[in-house]
Amino acid sequence: MDMLDALRELIALAFDVPRETVTPHTVQADIPAWDSVGHLNLMLMLEDHFKVRLDVSDMVKLTSVQAILDWLATSGTPTTCESTR
Amino acid sequence: MSAAADPLTAVLDAPTRAELDRALRTTGHELSLVDVNRLTRKLRGLNEATQPLRVGILRTYTTELLRPHWELAALLHGFTLDLYEAPYGSLLPEVQPDSALLRHQPDVVFIFLQWEDLDPRLRGPLPAVPTGQRAELVEAMLEPLRALLTSLRQVAATPIVLTLLPPMQGPALGLHDAMAAESDAEFRTAFRRRLAAWLRDSVPAAYFDDLDELLADVGRRQFFDTRLWYTSRCPFSVAGARAVVERLMTYAVLLKTPRAKCIVLDADNTLWGGIVGEDGPDGIALGPDYPGSAFIAFQRRLLDYQQRGLLLALCSKNNEADVLEVLRQHPHQLLREPHFAALRVNWSPKPANLRELAAELNLGLDTFVFVDDSPHECLAVRQELPQVTVVQRPASLPDMPRCLDHLPTLEVLGLTEEDRQRTELYVQERRRRELRASAGDVDQYLRSLNMRMTIGVNDTRQVARIAQLTQRTNQFNLTTRRYSEADIRQWMTDPDRLVAHFRLADVFGDSGLVGVALVRGVRGPTAEFDSFLLSCRVIGRQAETAFLLALLGLLQQQGVQRVEASYIPTKKNGLVKDFWPQQGFVPADGGPAAPADGGCITPPDGNRFALDLAADLPAATAPITIQWAEENPHGHA
Repeated sequence: MDMLDALRELIALAFDVPRETVTPHTVQADIPAWDSVGHLNLMLMLEDHFKVRLDVSDMVKLTSVQAILDWLATSGTPTTCESTR
Repeated sequence: MSAAADPLTAVLDAPTRAELDRALRTTGHELSLVDVNRLTRKLRGLNEATQPLRVGILRTYTTELLRPHWELAALLHGFTLDLYEAPYGSLLPEVQPDSALLRHQPDVVFIFLQWEDLDPRLRGPLPAVPTGQRAELVEAMLEPLRALLTSLRQVAATPIVLTLLPPMQGPALGLHDAMAAESDAEFRTAFRRRLAAWLRDSVPAAYFDDLDELLADVGRRQFFDTRLWYTSRCPFSVAGARAVVERLMTYAVLLKTPRAKCIVLDADNTLWGGIVGEDGPDGIALGPDYPGSAFIAFQRRLLDYQQRGLLLALCSKNNEADVLEVLRQHPHQLLREPHFAALRVNWSPKPANLRELAAELNLGLDTFVFVDDSPHECLAVRQELPQVTVVQRPASLPDMPRCLDHLPTLEVLGLTEEDRQRTELYVQERRRRELRASAGDVDQYLRSLNMRMTIGVNDTRQVARIAQLTQRTNQFNLTTRRYSEADIRQWMTDPDRLVAHFRLADVFGDSGLVGVALVRGVRGPTAEFDSFLLSCRVIGRQAETAFLLALLGLLQQQGVQRVEASYIPTKKNGLVKDFWPQQGFVPADGGPAAPADGGCITPPDGNRFALDLAADLPAATAPITIQWAEENPHGHA
């Protein structure tokens, strides 16, 4: 499963929306359940799924599918727990 | 299993909720938020029957991030959640009549507060408060809680669970806190004890839940997520949130379902390692060295459960002599014969033995928790007796001492004197049965017991036990009306009503408070038994006749001329359907029943009875000496 597919699945699960409705162009405002609380839930799920750690400064920026994909591609290389220290 | 394998595969494949729950326990996998959402989706898809659970939340910090955990925990326990979260920081407006919280009609209200909410001095370091002012500070901190909870109690009887967010940082004085006179830890403990005592004495059905205990279990670094706290005022990490919700859900389960009463234990490879019939009492693993150490720790934990009023029973496929030798002689065995309320050591199938144990202990199988190492025995019991909670001993022995900790039905929200003595009471009963078997006839047996009954009236010290009996007694219960402690307290203060109880003692010991009668209309001329019930523990000793006769005498003295009573049939109280006629009551007309409390059912026609008190009462026949408790405020001796 590539990064986009995994992310679509995650967003669908987080906000209880059909996976097909999530595209690379989806932004926070497109999904009503993606409110401030929903956003935090999504961020925590990203951390779980991609085994990454987000700073507060990252969390506030990742408000669209594209932003998340870009972040994962540059900063979010999956790492083991040991090497994140 | 490869490292990349999904640890939840087996869990997500489970065809039923029960199997999913079991598979989840078996994996021991720490759930991520993704897992929580996947499991919730899976459980919703199973579409199993659930009962509704209405939860209300008052809070002074962000609890929205607990929602996915509430959803999952509710579904795992067979509930469909209907959650109302009051606006952040809104407390007093929610406890006014017709508030959104009350309109939600919650089954339980959880309150999430911070220490700082209770007094402004808590915002600064505690050592800055002079030690001489600390007692005053404790009382000042109770004030906002008094305002909140008393108001809530005036408009709703809903159970309340109050929590205080544990401090996110260690004590002000660091290492020195443990030695300091101005210790944070000591102050916080003192306040918690004071709060608990106040709730116990003054707010019915309100519980303080100590999240600090959970914090100790999870660890401060794992419990909190400071990123979420400083950005969104949500203190908990994913693991912390899940732990908080799982702990609080225990209250909901206890309020909605019956608690367990007996843990039935296998012996070989459950209480000790190895097989006593083959390895011999000296060859089993039970002692300070591993694996015997793990079995000892498990036995030690079982003694804790006994302190909560749970019974232990033994159910083992073995020669009885072998097992008894371990119970009586093994130097490291902690659970001895008198720790077990009943034993079944034989070669019969375990489901048959469980049925026998239920009959002997007079308990429903749905109050049993069965623990065995054998997957075959566990399966046999699950299939034949689905109402029994089955726990298979964990494969990893060090996990064993905690293997029952997750069961909400093993928790208690209160403890009575009877709970603490329960095992002893059952052991006494076993000796009574032995005497009855050896005595020539029933009369001779009853006389040889040398029974003494002490009757008390409107004794407020017994409110908890009396309410407990009305809630738990199913068989010898004429009307099966359930009452809370608050209800009982109210009955006691009403001059036209009376709450009588009795204790029964005999040569084997004190059975404790085992019978209750609630009477209305005691100022006459017509009184009515609203409730009349007896613990199953003393059935068959003619205590009911002695108790009733004494109460009728009391009512007669007070000028009551006629006593009415009814029998409301249930699935479980067929035993007492002829009780009133047997006691000399005659069928009364099927006129309208007296208004019953708490929306009770009116007894069907033909189940109402009356007794004319103008005539002489029958002479006492039961071989029981009666005395009235000294504290009897009505002064009848």
